[in-house]
Amino acid sequence: MNYGPDNSDIVHGTLSMARMPGTAISPEAAEVAQIVRLVLGGDTAAFERIITRYERRVMSIAIRVLGCHEDAHDATQEVFLRVFKYLHRLNLEKPIEPWLMRMTINVCRDLGRKKRQHHSTSLEHAPSEPITTNPTDDPFTGLAEEQQRQMLWKALGGLSENERVAIVLRDVEGLSTAEVAAILETPEVTIRSRISRGRLRLKELVDQMSKGAMNGGTR
Amino acid sequence: MSCAFSKELLALHVENDLPETEGHAVAKHLLECAECEEFIAQLSRRQSQLKLLRREAIPESAFSRMRAEVLSQIEDSQRALGWSVWIERTLWLGFRRHALVFTSLAIAAVSATLFAQMRQPAWEDAAMSSNLAAVFGDNDALIRPSGYREWVSVGSSLEADGSDVSDPHAPAQSSSGLSHNVYMDRFAYRAFSETGKFPEGSVLVLETSGAAASQPIALQVSVKDSRFDGGWGFFDFTNSDGTIKDKVQSIAGKSSCRTCHEERAKSDHVFTQFHPALKTAT
Repeated sequence: MNYGPDNSDIVHGTLSMARMPGTAISPEAAEVAQIVRLVLGGDTAAFERIITRYERRVMSIAIRVLGCHEDAHDATQEVFLRVFKYLHRLNLEKPIEPWLMRMTINVCRDLGRKKRQHHSTSLEHAPSEPITTNPTDDPFTGLAEEQQRQMLWKALGGLSENERVAIVLRDVEGLSTAEVAAILETPEVTIRSRISRGRLRLKELVDQMSKGAMNGGTR
Repeated sequence: MSCAFSKELLALHVENDLPETEGHAVAKHLLECAECEEFIAQLSRRQSQLKLLRREAIPESAFSRMRAEVLSQIEDSQRALGWSVWIERTLWLGFRRHALVFTSLAIAAVSATLFAQMRQPAWEDAAMSSNLAAVFGDNDALIRPSGYREWVSVGSSLEADGSDVSDPHAPAQSSSGLSHNVYMDRFAYRAFSETGKFPEGSVLVLETSGAAASQPIALQVSVKDSRFDGGWGFFDFTNSDGTIKDKVQSIAGKSSCRTCHEERAKSDHVFTQFHPALKTAT
């Protein structure tokens, strides 16, 4: 049974947060609040509805921040275990999304630090496995897009952790700078600075890679 | 670039991330500077490519695997929370509703449960955990699963009086009128429902009871564990006097259990053909 909303827009397009703290509660938020009350009342099975509703959002952010499917799986699992554990701390008068996304970023950061201590991988690196996309009809366009995509993934891995998180939330997830600031509990001016530096660095890295590819191709 | 205009501002302007006044200043400069206009066009192309990353698809199996793992870990919510958070939650929710009444109840509940836990042997505690359905002691002896009656009941049958069917699971001295119930741990059941395969650590319990007795008179358990021949271990907890052992080692060698399960069970040593819940699951 699918309890969740239509997830297609979450996967393929921009999903802006339904509301920011302080605004009126939406029907969706009211429904989530009802499920949360059930879980807190002891109905553990109802928690599956929360997972189903937000799993795509959490996992896609984790993949983009960590750059690795396997780590993203572990992070998503940890996020929902933490959500279950601290569900009573959630203010039901406010939307769940910022809280959930903050937790996702924190878990990814924790996991990234642990991985770096052991292997020096993850946040500073490109994804370790190819990630599938929707194919295009034109094979040449598809190939060029794929090359660009791989370069972007690699370049994202070259950003600092703060810049990467800001770019993922703002440019890939499509949240506004105010929403990113609320999620990261950081002043908006700082977020804008990270986004700005991240975009410039990303451009620089992709330009370098493109030049390298062209030189390699003409040799 | 020779133009000294702030690249940081251009990088924000490309997605309209600047406050209005600064945005106007950048727009005005762009009308006069072809170099910055080209720079922002390049940034804009890069932003469009970045947005394509939204199209990346995640296979459904990744979610179902993650979901099953989370749900199995929170099945026993109190255990999943841990004591400190459980107390915090109880007090937190209690305070929101009726502070004093709930706090008193929470303290009483904590005391009672702590007392009960102190009396419960450690291995029983472990065996109660849903994702530790099979708990082994020394020399790979399986500790009798407790709480299995709360697992998924996948099938049951009643042996009629006068039945002449030879049941290999019935205790030697038993008479007819026995009921057989098969239970499967919840984690394994959920995984089997989704994949059609029994995960490592799957536990099935066959309990045989008399018509009047509440306690089993025979208890046999199979555990999917790669340490055992054929990937499954078979354990018979039944004593010859009809009592049930606390722990037992696997039945060694090419036993009748193993032979029968290997030859006749439809799916991976399990008689799914006789268990309605497993037939439905597949």
